[in-house]
Amino acid sequence: MHDVRYDAVHDEIVVPVPYAQAILTFRGGADGQEAPIRIIQGPKTGAIGSRLDVDPIHNEIFTYTGNTVTVYPREANGDVAPIRVIRGPDTQLKRPYGIAVDPINDILVIGLNSNFGSDEPITVEDTESLEKGAILIFNRTDSGNVKPRGVIRGPKSGIIRINQMQLYPQKKLIVGAMPGVIDSMEPDSAFLGVWSYDDNGDIPPKWKIPANDRTKLKKPFGVVLNPKNKEVIISDMRNQGVLVFSVPEVF
Amino acid sequence: MIKAQRGGKLWLLSVLSAGLVLGAQTRTEDRKPITIERAPQRVIKDQYPSFSAVAINPDENMLVVTDENLFQILEYDRRENTPAQARLSEPKRVISGPNTRAEMMCGVYIDPVTKEIYVLNNDTQNWLPVFSRDARGNATPSRYLATPHGTFGIAVDEEKQQMYMTVQHQNSIVVYPKQAAGEEKPLRTIAGSDTQLEDPHGIALDLKNRLIFVSNFGNAQISPPGSSGGRRSADTYGKFEPPSITVYPLDASGNVKPLRVIEGPKTRLNWPSQMAFHEPRQELFVANDADDSILVFRAGDQGDVAPIRAIKGPTTGIKNPPGIALDIKNGEVSVASMGTHAVLFFPVTADGDVKPLRIIRGGPANQVALNIGNPGAVGYDTKRDQILVPN
Repeated sequence: MHDVRYDAVHDEIVVPVPYAQAILTFRGGADGQEAPIRIIQGPKTGAIGSRLDVDPIHNEIFTYTGNTVTVYPREANGDVAPIRVIRGPDTQLKRPYGIAVDPINDILVIGLNSNFGSDEPITVEDTESLEKGAILIFNRTDSGNVKPRGVIRGPKSGIIRINQMQLYPQKKLIVGAMPGVIDSMEPDSAFLGVWSYDDNGDIPPKWKIPANDRTKLKKPFGVVLNPKNKEVIISDMRNQGVLVFSVPEVF
Repeated sequence: MIKAQRGGKLWLLSVLSAGLVLGAQTRTEDRKPITIERAPQRVIKDQYPSFSAVAINPDENMLVVTDENLFQILEYDRRENTPAQARLSEPKRVISGPNTRAEMMCGVYIDPVTKEIYVLNNDTQNWLPVFSRDARGNATPSRYLATPHGTFGIAVDEEKQQMYMTVQHQNSIVVYPKQAAGEEKPLRTIAGSDTQLEDPHGIALDLKNRLIFVSNFGNAQISPPGSSGGRRSADTYGKFEPPSITVYPLDASGNVKPLRVIEGPKTRLNWPSQMAFHEPRQELFVANDADDSILVFRAGDQGDVAPIRAIKGPTTGIKNPPGIALDIKNGEVSVASMGTHAVLFFPVTADGDVKPLRIIRGGPANQVALNIGNPGAVGYDTKRDQILVPN
């Protein structure tokens, strides 16, 4: 599993299982070999991406397959088709990987790995020559072949690829884990970045926690926010662990 | 009144701030990021190795273990037995570092002649690096092969000099020349809708009867007939099937049906991971990860059959075992117990809740491993103040 979301409104845990092309929902506090309370899976459902997010207000689950963003009813159980999709050349969707939704400001954000994440072997030389990743900003209710309202991409952005993201509706912030070149075990360029919903273009993050000896970050893969304690919680692949930072200035 | 004055000042400040922000928005390309250079308040990390795969060369008493937590390849003397009062056993050598091309290692093989170590990466690196008998530290592999993404198990036919690997992400088995390197392509691939390969993990060969055994977690991906399979195939969808062991001819290729399948509630299979085949006894040993057990089946078993033996229970010390190896010469089975930082040794005839013959510990006794592996995401349960980490 490469994503996990806690739905605080309904006290549920939602995870994608890409090996079985399924979205599983567990009760909050589930423990041990406990069965899920709902499963979305089947021919109508189709393939499921490695990441997802939950909109507990409008009762929707956002994920992707291939270069298509798919949206399912949150309470669905069984073989259900997506209720809407975003796809097409205008969307600029290319290897989506991170995904996050803000149900308050009606924003959907997609992180791209671009040419990364293929089943084919990719060398360091490849990653340096291929198109870099990006953050695409859509409206939450977008459907079809729509243009993103914002695209953050380019050398100043520092984005090579984007893994898990979180949105902070109160300040309209995008928080994304940028683990750097995929083939490098401890890439110099990795960081946790914070951008604004209004950013568009080759924009550096407003804040960044870089991977270095001081922060102890090496390869940030996941992020979640704890506004109550003004904390950013980061899962780090190369540390095989979780690092908790106090960053009151972001909240 | 005081409140109003304060409010007025705040309003003025807000307007000024908004102006500053608007001004900044026109030049966001020139924004200087505020770099937060501070140590984390808390770190959740296991400081000891998580043993994921194990291989043995009895002639040289060589035990090689891969560690998915600290990204190490460790060699011990197979006769080592960590004293109860000791914190851990020190390995004879360690291979680790960014030059190794070895990270989330889940498969390991020792060449019986050269004693070279072959290591398989799973989800983060697409390489099979090979290390010489003397490699240690941040060593560059003596050669490496670019493999499909998501390899897990490895088995070698020494007579034909061919190595077999499972590919979890593509529901396939790939066969390479043993000396393959660089971008060399596989000699053949077993994949497709008829194969019943469903999230394959372990692989073992019966060279006498010319068979391939593959353990499957049961995460099936249904593809259109004639499709080569894989989770990115068009029209693919998923299905949860029971865990299984599928059996193929040793020279199988393409979209072949298994000769037989071991599957069903009597089998007790639950995340069956690495396997090892005992040719003289004609028995298949399975590291049954989610059941904290080692299961033994007859070579000819089929359908919903109970294992002929099972090593399981609190006395065994087995916790989440992904790795297993057989030492036929000394009559032992060794188990990589990821949940307890340990390698455990049992007689090949062991059955039930038995005490291991020896234990090599990479960490303190009775310290449960965190089992954080490739944490691609993190969640926060606000109701229970709990951090959720998927592997």
